[in-house]
Amino acid sequence: MERPGKFILNLYPTTKFLFAFCLMMTPLLLPGYLYSYMVPVLCLVIALIAGKTKLYVNFVLKGLVPIVVMIFLLQSFFYPGDTVLWSWSIFSIKQEGIHFSLQLTSKILAIGSSIVLFFQITKINDLSRALELMGISPKATYVLSAALNIIPEMRLQLLRIMDAQKTRGVETEGSLTIRMKAFVPALTPLILSSFSSTDEKAITLESRAFTARTKKTSLHHLEKTKSDHVVRALLVIAVVSILIGRFFL
Amino acid sequence: MKNFKKDFTLISILLIPIGVAVNVVAGELVEILKIPLFLNQIGTMIVAMVAGPWVGAVTGGVSKLIFGIFNPTQLAFMPVAMASGIVVGLMAKKGFTKNAWKTAFTGFIVALVAILIATPTTVIVFGGASGTGSDTITAVLLASGKEIWASVFTQKIFVESIDKILSIMVAYMIVRKMSDQYLSKQKYGHLYLNMNQNKHNRKIGA
Amino acid sequence: MSAIEIRNLSYQYPTGSEEVLHNLNLTIESGKFYALAGVNGGGKTTLCNVIRGFIPHFFKGERTGKVLIEGKDVQDWDPSDLAQKVGFVFQNPFTQISGVKETVFDEIAFGLENLGVEVDVIRQRVQDIIGLLGIGYIQDKNPNELSGGQKQRVALASIIVMEPDILIFDEPTSQLDPQGTEEIFRVIDIMKKKGKTIILVEHKIELIAEYADYVIVLQDGEIKKQGRTEEVLADEATQDFGLGLTQYTLLDLAMRKQHMHTERIPITEGDSVSVMKQWMEFQGVKA
Repeated sequence: MERPGKFILNLYPTTKFLFAFCLMMTPLLLPGYLYSYMVPVLCLVIALIAGKTKLYVNFVLKGLVPIVVMIFLLQSFFYPGDTVLWSWSIFSIKQEGIHFSLQLTSKILAIGSSIVLFFQITKINDLSRALELMGISPKATYVLSAALNIIPEMRLQLLRIMDAQKTRGVETEGSLTIRMKAFVPALTPLILSSFSSTDEKAITLESRAFTARTKKTSLHHLEKTKSDHVVRALLVIAVVSILIGRFFL
Repeated sequence: MKNFKKDFTLISILLIPIGVAVNVVAGELVEILKIPLFLNQIGTMIVAMVAGPWVGAVTGGVSKLIFGIFNPTQLAFMPVAMASGIVVGLMAKKGFTKNAWKTAFTGFIVALVAILIATPTTVIVFGGASGTGSDTITAVLLASGKEIWASVFTQKIFVESIDKILSIMVAYMIVRKMSDQYLSKQKYGHLYLNMNQNKHNRKIGA
Repeated sequence: MSAIEIRNLSYQYPTGSEEVLHNLNLTIESGKFYALAGVNGGGKTTLCNVIRGFIPHFFKGERTGKVLIEGKDVQDWDPSDLAQKVGFVFQNPFTQISGVKETVFDEIAFGLENLGVEVDVIRQRVQDIIGLLGIGYIQDKNPNELSGGQKQRVALASIIVMEPDILIFDEPTSQLDPQGTEEIFRVIDIMKKKGKTIILVEHKIELIAEYADYVIVLQDGEIKKQGRTEEVLADEATQDFGLGLTQYTLLDLAMRKQHMHTERIPITEGDSVSVMKQWMEFQGVKA
């Protein structure tokens, strides 16, 4: 028996996607918000097992929590309603607003955390390969992989340019105008040099038969295993039983 | 559809990952410098200007997909980014990115479209919130008795118009700095040839 | 047998008003090593791009005349057949990696994957090339993290693994240090011995003298001089086209001015040694 973390990470990309998709969709099928609030917790557990807790928590805190807090602030104060729970001066928190916020944020958290989890447990190269096997053009998957590959390179280059400019006396701290003025000179050389590489890149790819019309092979081995079938079967059972429970019982 | 495919030459396709990475890195630089704007579609706009609306749209879409890995709420704004690419590309083809004033006007149209798409997304999907500092504007407007749609719409006018017009001006400056030799290899690069006298006399490479 | 036939070739960039290549005629013999030399801006890179079909495929502009590879114009070749027929390596090590592979091994395999070669065959061929180039120690590294010289060797490996008959090298070592240069040329030499047709753009005259069978001097888009390496590089007039001569040749020419006539003008170190030896023996000097 393999480690449970390995079990999760070794699943086929589309199995992971189906799993995340079910986590996203079931909150829309179930009434109330309690289940929906369980989804981020469930995702956390899976991230924990897969050894991806740090990034998962980081992205949920940075990406989802601020908007959830803002929704509560905006809606509980300003949602039209009469059931006042607490008030001060012209501001009052209403029951209806709280209820609306709970409903809305539960869905956002469920969908958002499933997406965060999916990208944390799925390697983009695996996903690209799976998409190619499904018949997506290698050019499309190239774009995705190449973009993710360039970002860290470009980041390093940006830091190098900013360091160089600091030594030449370009201010990067101070008033908003100063900071805005730092933006363009830091970015322009980076963008120009990055774009200028595209024609040589085209030559490189053409030399490697990238546009060949033959069916490509790949050293990247990707295969559905027994675990994938088990997980998929469990997902079907779960969704069907939710549907039955919701609409027939 | 035929036109759509014709725009996607190998060189155009290779612009997409660069445009996406530019968007991401520029977005990060904005955070480092603590500038209260997004400025994360400059790459999309550059690509749309030199490679047309459809390649621009894909650049915007893929950017939001990548942003979505770190912040899934961004995925909801994919249509805004794609529309920005389309609008810039279409306007560029009509010559509306050829000088600074026309480009600013294009930026204004981009902002308008962005406001029209982003407002319903923000109200319906996120209850009017965006999770950024600009939510204060929405809150003040709500407190002053405006209803949610009007508040978010007004907030978007503030945020999007400044953001999009600034972004396209930066994009315009960068395209102007591209060499004629480079531009001549791009699908719609001919629009910007000989715009700059200094470049004109540059030796054409061997 | 000729590998490439160029007939009345002219080319003009879309932005330029003058022709970059002007009515060129050239025959490249199969299995021979050609050096393209001449001042910058003379049209060397453009000619390479035309031969490989990148012009006018990617880079617009007007091409007239014919570029025949095995009797068929390069523009009529199927892209995957052409990629297998003509390999192309240029100077910039940083833009010659695919940008989507995580290891050097996978990077080298990329071209073969695109050609649809079977996975087991790919592994074997990549392994062979890695052995040939002696880059086993970096095969599991991320291509992005390599030095310029290492990247260039990976680029070279990625092309020769596709086993093209014709190899075009456009200043492959101009951004490398002497050690990196030496390693690239070691591989180019192996390719020459395997009977590949080689076209090399190079400024370092010693390297041309050492390896090339023929030299073609290009200036202002025209062929100013061509011939066997030992003839072109032994001719003082070659210097008129911005091409230096090797120190061995220069020494010999200087000697001639002092009426010390060697039997022939040497162009390489080895050449020079044997010519000198002969001359000294003739003069009655015991070596």
